[in-house]
Amino acid sequence: MKEKEGYVDYPEQQMILYVEKDDGKYGPMQTGSFISANYLDDYKLKRRNLEIGLREQLTANSISPLKYFMVLEDLTLSELSARAGIRKSRVRKQLTPQKFGSVTTNELQRYAAVFNIGVANLLQVVLVGINGNYESNLILENSAGHISVIHEPTANPFVVLTKIEERK
Amino acid sequence: MENYHHKMAAHCESGTVTALLNHGGLEITEPLVFGISGGIFFGYFHKTKAFSFPTFIMRNKPGQIRNNIENRLGVKFRTYEFRDPVKGQIQLDDLLIRKIPTGVQVDFFYMDYVPSWERVHINVHYLVVVGKDGNHYAISDSYFPAMVELDASSLEKGRFAGGNMSPKGFIFHLDRVPADIDYQAAIVKGIKKACFYMLRLPMPFLGIRGIRLFAKKVVEWPSFARDTEHLSHEIMKINILLEDQGTGGAGFRYIYATFLQQAAAIVQKPELKELSEELMKIGDGWREISLFSARIGKNRDLGPDKLKLLSEMIYDRAEAEERFFKNLSVAIK
Repeated sequence: MKEKEGYVDYPEQQMILYVEKDDGKYGPMQTGSFISANYLDDYKLKRRNLEIGLREQLTANSISPLKYFMVLEDLTLSELSARAGIRKSRVRKQLTPQKFGSVTTNELQRYAAVFNIGVANLLQVVLVGINGNYESNLILENSAGHISVIHEPTANPFVVLTKIEERK
Repeated sequence: MENYHHKMAAHCESGTVTALLNHGGLEITEPLVFGISGGIFFGYFHKTKAFSFPTFIMRNKPGQIRNNIENRLGVKFRTYEFRDPVKGQIQLDDLLIRKIPTGVQVDFFYMDYVPSWERVHINVHYLVVVGKDGNHYAISDSYFPAMVELDASSLEKGRFAGGNMSPKGFIFHLDRVPADIDYQAAIVKGIKKACFYMLRLPMPFLGIRGIRLFAKKVVEWPSFARDTEHLSHEIMKINILLEDQGTGGAGFRYIYATFLQQAAAIVQKPELKELSEELMKIGDGWREISLFSARIGKNRDLGPDKLKLLSEMIYDRAEAEERFFKNLSVAIK
């Protein structure tokens, strides 16, 4: 690939491509990510739709919170089990709402650590109202209009401080 | 660390190893590190416990770049693994106090400085830690244009994540660089190994056979998908795996072509330069696959005809790479 063909203007995600320079030598060039520059909106749309679908199942008590996060984070049962250090058969049961009640506080902590969220956030979905619609803060990534929602961990592993404030 | 120079690289492991070698006084390029270690590869995984969807790799096993560079150049890295995160942090901090830049294996998901859309659970990301200020580490991540900061708890989560290929707190640093290095022998060995892995492994999912299996099986991908959007996401990930996940473009084919061009001058074999040009063209074909996958995924144009076309494009790469590696193995004899 020639150097001029490799250039993508996308400072948010830079990368190194190896290309043919003008003098015929191959070497590195710093450029932007083609797929993020052109298709990031499509990725975000799909992730939003996935979250909405999972949330409907979650609130209808068809899946457990564990399944909601596992699918959202694209983990397999085996991988979640290995990462949490919990037997696979037990994780499999806890993916269903009927058996999720058997989860211990220690297990909740392990699951929350895998998903990199507070324990409290395993058991709630924070929605932010925008233009008459409620959107998951997890998907919005705290980028909703004039409202800022931050989940702040505390020294107490079971408690997060959820701070909602107007953006200035 | 004042005398440490951050530099972007195509790939995290070859970039980290190159950075540590350069810091230790050995002038070597990332393509040479990649090529000498026999980094180029292909593997297709249709069903595994670790992945929720069929996937593929285009480089050798994580950790092999460092191992093979040690064996083939005679450099020595000191490595450490930990069960206890506290001991892991104490050892890392001790190395930093002694001003030793340290390679660290982490789960990419916990690297907070990465944009959210890039962050996935992958336990084999490598970076260099070069300092600590209070509760924050100074990180040289070859995927970033500048040095970044990471808080200690995020680094710990990344270093001690569980699951497939879990890092177990793994860290390494350069211990010794020999006075004389036989680059010619190292290059020849690296190329021979790469040819062996691409052409001669008997497993049907590895090497050229793996590319053919990928071509054959990609038409079955719809049966794994939850819905059209899921299939679209996975098809578009072909582009990410080929271009964005630290490959240097075209699934490591461009960086290997660069290696062959540099190797041709060192081992004085002009055939390698010609082969580097051929591989650059093969890489262009992989890039067409990337762009095609992104386009049909975005348009949700994922019917059997399009997947068959994708399959044919992949078969075509298998043919081209088989010819290429056969010629390469003859050239390096």
